[in-house]
Amino acid sequence: MSEEYEPNILAFLCNWCSYAGADLAGTSRTHYLPNIKIIRVMCSGRVNPLFLVNALQQGADGVLISGCHPGDCHYLEGNFYARRRFMLMRKLLEHVGVDPGRVNMSWVSASEGAKFKEVIDETVAKAKEAGPMDQFRRRQLNW
Amino acid sequence: MVDETILREKAREVLARDDVRRLIGWKRGTYGYESAPAVLKDASQADELIFDPTCVQNPASFITLEEKLPVPRGQDPDTRKVAVLVKGCDSRAVVQQLVEKAYTRDGVIVLGVPCTGVVDRRKAQKMFGDTSEPVMIKEEGDKFVFIIDGETREGPRAELLADKCVRCRFPNPLVYDELVADEVAVWGADEFADVDEFEKMSPPEKWKFWEEQFSKCIRCYSCRNVCPMCYCLECVVTKQKPQWTRRSTDVSENTAYHIQRAWHLSGRCIECGECERVCPVDIPITTLNRKMTRDVKELFSYEPGVDVEAEPLLSCYNPQDPEEYIM
Amino acid sequence: MGDFKFAKDKLAEVVGALKDYEVFAPAAVGDVLRFKEVEDASSVSFDFKNTNVPPKELMFPETETLFKFRVGKTDIEPAVPDESKKRLVFGIRPCDAMAYTIVEKLYSWDYPDPYFEKRRESSVLFGLACSEPVPNCFCTSLGGGPGSEQGLDALMFDLGETVYVKTITDAGDTVAKAMGLEAAADAEKKAAAAQEKDALGKIKRSIDTEGIPEKLPSLYDHPFWEQFSDRCLSCGICTFLCPTCHCFDIQDEMEAFDGRRARMWDTCMFPEYTLHTSGHNPRPTRKERTRNRISHKYSYFPEKFDVIACVGCGRCINYCPVNIDILDILEKSKQAEAKEAKTA
Repeated sequence: MSEEYEPNILAFLCNWCSYAGADLAGTSRTHYLPNIKIIRVMCSGRVNPLFLVNALQQGADGVLISGCHPGDCHYLEGNFYARRRFMLMRKLLEHVGVDPGRVNMSWVSASEGAKFKEVIDETVAKAKEAGPMDQFRRRQLNW
Repeated sequence: MVDETILREKAREVLARDDVRRLIGWKRGTYGYESAPAVLKDASQADELIFDPTCVQNPASFITLEEKLPVPRGQDPDTRKVAVLVKGCDSRAVVQQLVEKAYTRDGVIVLGVPCTGVVDRRKAQKMFGDTSEPVMIKEEGDKFVFIIDGETREGPRAELLADKCVRCRFPNPLVYDELVADEVAVWGADEFADVDEFEKMSPPEKWKFWEEQFSKCIRCYSCRNVCPMCYCLECVVTKQKPQWTRRSTDVSENTAYHIQRAWHLSGRCIECGECERVCPVDIPITTLNRKMTRDVKELFSYEPGVDVEAEPLLSCYNPQDPEEYIM
Repeated sequence: MGDFKFAKDKLAEVVGALKDYEVFAPAAVGDVLRFKEVEDASSVSFDFKNTNVPPKELMFPETETLFKFRVGKTDIEPAVPDESKKRLVFGIRPCDAMAYTIVEKLYSWDYPDPYFEKRRESSVLFGLACSEPVPNCFCTSLGGGPGSEQGLDALMFDLGETVYVKTITDAGDTVAKAMGLEAAADAEKKAAAAQEKDALGKIKRSIDTEGIPEKLPSLYDHPFWEQFSDRCLSCGICTFLCPTCHCFDIQDEMEAFDGRRARMWDTCMFPEYTLHTSGHNPRPTRKERTRNRISHKYSYFPEKFDVIACVGCGRCINYCPVNIDILDILEKSKQAEAKEAKTA
């Protein structure tokens, strides 16, 4: 491969803050990297760590979970639970030998379009550094 | 030392009660270095019970293994209690199950058995070889005395103890209705040296290690089923719609299974070591759980299975939780 | 057929001499042994007892692709095993080879299974007689033995410095000649016979199977099953590691527009095995599942194929984490049956 490696990033954005933040980044014509595929969820607390493992299995090179700032959750406490969960999941993946840079979390509010761009840039940079996710990717179909 | 006659006497009393359905303990196995879990339903069976260093199994696992079938119309559900014999480590499983409200404290009768350590079958097999007769094991000072095929053999206690016993901090049951013997002194301490040692490896080395281990997995799910904390009625790895983990066995699916298993047990694993003991292909499963246990302790100052009043780790939060990784 | 021998330190050369065969032999990962394709002939050794995972996986892999397909196209791409290369299974224990002869009956019955059959047809089995049986072996109770020849093409006896090879079929003879083995003398034959006799004496456990297949169905609802099922974990160890267990599940695995149909080991010990779409489960508890496992081996299978689906390898006893001992179950079933007969 002569082309530069472009990672696939899957982002779970909460409906109330981060998704709106991404929207703001778009409407204010901020250019952020196109490596990201967004899935809108109602709350970062909705994201099961299982989604993350499954994403890595199915070809994502990195995952981003983004929610409201602590204290700003639309459901009051969803992001606090998510914070605990992904803290542990990162540690576990690190123990298995997966680069922790593949699991990212951020707090982006609806007014932080500029921060959203920075978050994406950093996530992509980390995933680039980690290289293609080939450890436990599904390979049952090798045509 | 546990006097088996007292143990049997207490068990008999409990089994004779009208409000007790079954009692779970240990009985002599048919061969080798391990006892068999015993599920007794009648006071006349109490003489089958034993307690010695062959009793590795965690009887608390069997409380939740019992299937609850729908009660036919017009019949009342069986609300009689389940009695269970527990060592110190096993009692932590009961504590954690109570924390999670798997059943109520009234639903179980806990007979506590203070324990001075059990023998690891694999270590004993390496030292003395296999046998088709049940082995008797006694503890004498810092030695274990084995009777194997009628022959008396000895081995140092430190080398034969199960790993969980070497670092045991809870030899005495933490929850019980009655103790069947006097409490014993605590001998172990846990500094998580094994986790530190493992973490010296670089990420590619770690993955190389786990890739080999996970590729052995035949997905018999014995580690899941034996776990006293894995008592969900429906498990995500066997769910078909949606199917998160495929049934085919390969490194990808096996890794996903093991990550999910370890993840679901973070902040819940009470370190009875059963998962690793039952594995037919010798995957060092507790290595994953130990890492989570240590991190949970360091990050959230939380230890599962010690306090009946505690809240489950992941269904509570602290606004001051660490978040240095969050952008 | 022929009698051959080779020096044990020439093992690597003997195996390496075979160019037209894919050779499978036990290989260790840590303490765990299972059959793998030999890449380096010098890694082959006779220093093992029974493999943890039985060689049934060579004919009936844990997971195998049946065919691949692409959505929107009518043609599928079948993945029938390649038979162009002959396979040599080197060092298979007599019990595991005998298991092939049992499973074969099912796989060639009714709808012959091309995947199993093609692999079986292209395989030559070089058995290795047992000199040190594992404590829970009871093959002699089921018509096998440490030197049983059932299903094998050749049987090897490890006599210390030399290995005596007795070929049983033409295929075995051809392979022995291709390996360039020399003819054996009477001394080796005698030593092999002595070793077999010695090994027979070391098998401690046994069961008299007389009458079990006929009597087990009468114990269908008997409470004695609960003594065992109450401590059953419902895990798949006993069945996955059984050389004669042959149940499988078939699943379609999709990735966007590509997919494959795969089959993988399944076990009657999982509740999902019998779960109906309606939500009804005819084997809802561990009692029914334990009963099914034993009854299938010792009653339903013999009823149909005239042979007990158990070879006495002892794996289900060795690896069961809660000491559910098939010999104990059969012994207790006899007692229960005798008691019933008395009261009746």
